[in-house]
Amino acid sequence: MTHELQNLAQALLLRGELLVLLYFLAVNGWYLVLLVSSYLEMRRHLILIADESRWRLLSSELSPGISMLAPAYNEEATIETSVRALLALHYPRLEVVVVNDGSKDRTIQVLRDQFDLVVVKAVYDRNIETKPVRAVYRSATYPGLVVVDKENGGKADALNVGLNFAQGKLVCAMDADTLIEPDGLQRMVRPFLHANDVVATGGTIRIVNGSEIRSGRVVRARVPTNLLAGLQVVEYLRAFLFGRLGWNRLGGNLIISGAFGLFRREAVLAAGGYLHDTVGEDMELVLRLKRRGYETGGPGRIAFVPDPVAWTEAPESIRVLSRQRDRWHRGLSDVLWRHRKMFLNLRYGVTGLVVFPYYVFVELLAPVIEAVGILGLLLGLAFGLVDWPFAFLFFLTAYGLGTALTAFTLILEDLSFHTYATFRDRTKLFGWVLIENLGYRQMTVFWRLRGLWKFIRGRKDWGDMTRKGFSQKSAVAPRLR
Amino acid sequence: MIDQRVLELVMWAELSLLVLSLAVFFVHGLWLYFSDKRDARLTAEGRQALARLLDGEGTQSPADVGILRALPRDVQTTVFLEISKNLTGGGRRELNRIAGLTGIFDRARDMCGSRRWTRRLKGARFLAQMEQSDVIITKLLRDSHPAVRAQAAEWAAAHPVPEVFDELFGLLADPETLSRFAVQDALLRMGRDAVEPLARYLENHSGQAAAAGLHLAAAMVEPVFIPAAISHTLDGLPEVRAAAASLLGAVGGAEAASRLVDLLDDPDPDVRAAAAFALGRMRHWPAGSRLAAVLEDSSWAPRRAAALALRSIGGPGVLLLRRAAVSPVQRASDIALLALDMPAAAR
Repeated sequence: MTHELQNLAQALLLRGELLVLLYFLAVNGWYLVLLVSSYLEMRRHLILIADESRWRLLSSELSPGISMLAPAYNEEATIETSVRALLALHYPRLEVVVVNDGSKDRTIQVLRDQFDLVVVKAVYDRNIETKPVRAVYRSATYPGLVVVDKENGGKADALNVGLNFAQGKLVCAMDADTLIEPDGLQRMVRPFLHANDVVATGGTIRIVNGSEIRSGRVVRARVPTNLLAGLQVVEYLRAFLFGRLGWNRLGGNLIISGAFGLFRREAVLAAGGYLHDTVGEDMELVLRLKRRGYETGGPGRIAFVPDPVAWTEAPESIRVLSRQRDRWHRGLSDVLWRHRKMFLNLRYGVTGLVVFPYYVFVELLAPVIEAVGILGLLLGLAFGLVDWPFAFLFFLTAYGLGTALTAFTLILEDLSFHTYATFRDRTKLFGWVLIENLGYRQMTVFWRLRGLWKFIRGRKDWGDMTRKGFSQKSAVAPRLR
Repeated sequence: MIDQRVLELVMWAELSLLVLSLAVFFVHGLWLYFSDKRDARLTAEGRQALARLLDGEGTQSPADVGILRALPRDVQTTVFLEISKNLTGGGRRELNRIAGLTGIFDRARDMCGSRRWTRRLKGARFLAQMEQSDVIITKLLRDSHPAVRAQAAEWAAAHPVPEVFDELFGLLADPETLSRFAVQDALLRMGRDAVEPLARYLENHSGQAAAAGLHLAAAMVEPVFIPAAISHTLDGLPEVRAAAASLLGAVGGAEAASRLVDLLDDPDPDVRAAAAFALGRMRHWPAGSRLAAVLEDSSWAPRRAAALALRSIGGPGVLLLRRAAVSPVQRASDIALLALDMPAAAR
């Protein structure tokens, strides 16, 4: 009997392993398609931007107005430098809407003192229901600055108030710790000028850790020496350069980083603004815009701009990183569940038939399948059903193609923007690629599994997101909410 | 059962890919390092040669032309483009003459005639940035690719001649956003040169084509557009009537005000809103009572525009808003209170 059970376990393990290996090959095969697609897309993009004269956009009366939405909560220490950094962005018709989300500290007083704010009578349309607005201010010295003081309601509520007040045709939502390139908005606005049906654009976000920052700007990009930050550089490059760029050609993106995204205001208002009861409000909005595009026959394209446009600080502690990944995965699960109607639904075209299933099988369920594979292999070794050389070979095969593809992403980056130029940076970067699969990837699998589990149990908290902060050289580092 | 030999095969294939990518990554890094150094050296030589030629006042050395001609194409382009941004008038003409000697314009023209849009774009971009007048770019205004059309339109902004106008007005309602934006921007940059042709265009077009022209005219603000704007307020498309109202508000005048007051009764809310906004922009106080009536409009946009218009009129407008604040019509009193920044308890 015991012998029979052992045989059965062996058969299950081996078939399970085969399934996992096939899954890895299928996923990496699709990644290969994405890589080719992103190469073609990058080539086209570089041709379009080579020697382009962006000053025309800068000086044109016809450039679409952009409203930067900056929610702030208890930011008295950093609000002044943050707002100054936003006002200094190179864009002709820029409005900065700071929403004080019921701060308990002196945020509003600091704003009033530093920007010569005066109370104005604002006639605005409450397109989206929000917590009550206490007062609206305009700056006597900066015509493009609007400050809205409201009762506390959370980030989504603050963004919705910003949407109600914004006058720009386009609105830009950004994260607390994002450093935007001075010409980032000029680059991000391109897709809106290129096509009528674009409702949102996202740009490449890079990891700022280890880089040289002066006055809120990255003056020299470096690969971080810190293990966790270095591994995240590789992850971000892969996610943005061949993940999102590849999807541009293959049916469109579903994700725009909450760190920096540009939206058509009218479309966001028509869709009802940001949702309060989700941890993935940025992805949810993007998917809702896309879905609405299909349902109403209106615009719904989500475009991605590969130029590096913004920099963000990566967590350098396992505790913070694990919370971030846990939250991201909960957000992903929640958003895919809310819009499950799109899954394999002909009505939603390529998004329903290709993009959505990809997100379900590759992004959402990958940790489950990977965990099954790892667990099976460990069990097989423990029970003596799999020998060590085979297990090692299996491990190398399963992760090898992924590593090679990530290495190709580095080449793609190098051929296009070559942000990391020195031999030292190249060596570090390649080193992080080689070790990414040795422990780090397995940890992310665990964190994402935890996120999935929490989603199933209905947890919607954000968790603490403590970060190290930008270096002392960073005189202007946005720390808005 | 997975065959171990298959796994080994797959693993070796993956390893080969990895080694290949490693080699490409570092070799490309080396190539970048050396090519950057070489380009920097050649660019410096090219700059010096070009500076000597520009400074020569007719006594130019053929050797310097030879240096420029021998430069790699990308470096040659960089050297000319970086200095072209800083030159106008005689300096610009001299630069273009030197560029002609090096053969760079001939190459750009050849590129403009290429079958590949990427090459046409590159050629047009160079000629546009050098502000080189050439009939081939006029032809590119009819190119099949929107990026090339947009680039040709950018060039056209500095060449306000009749044949260019004809082409540009033909593209004013281009379905491709990119080229439409570039064409509108080019016409706007042409300034006074574009006013008469635009007025003629507005007289001869209606519907969507007219809307694009009206938007442009509103940015130019010239009285010559008034007759056409008034006639377009009777257009069948609400978008055109709204654009005509905005134009009338921008230009102003008694005739415009009278027509705008009529538009306050338009069946489309966007047109009513545009008319109210335009009257506010003109601060046309005689229209105060008509604007006050719009405070009871069933749509938000006209109500908001009327409230803002009354506020911008000043004393008489504020008085009318105060009256509306105690109106039995809830929506009129709400918008009036909002415009006056008064609490609801003041009703």
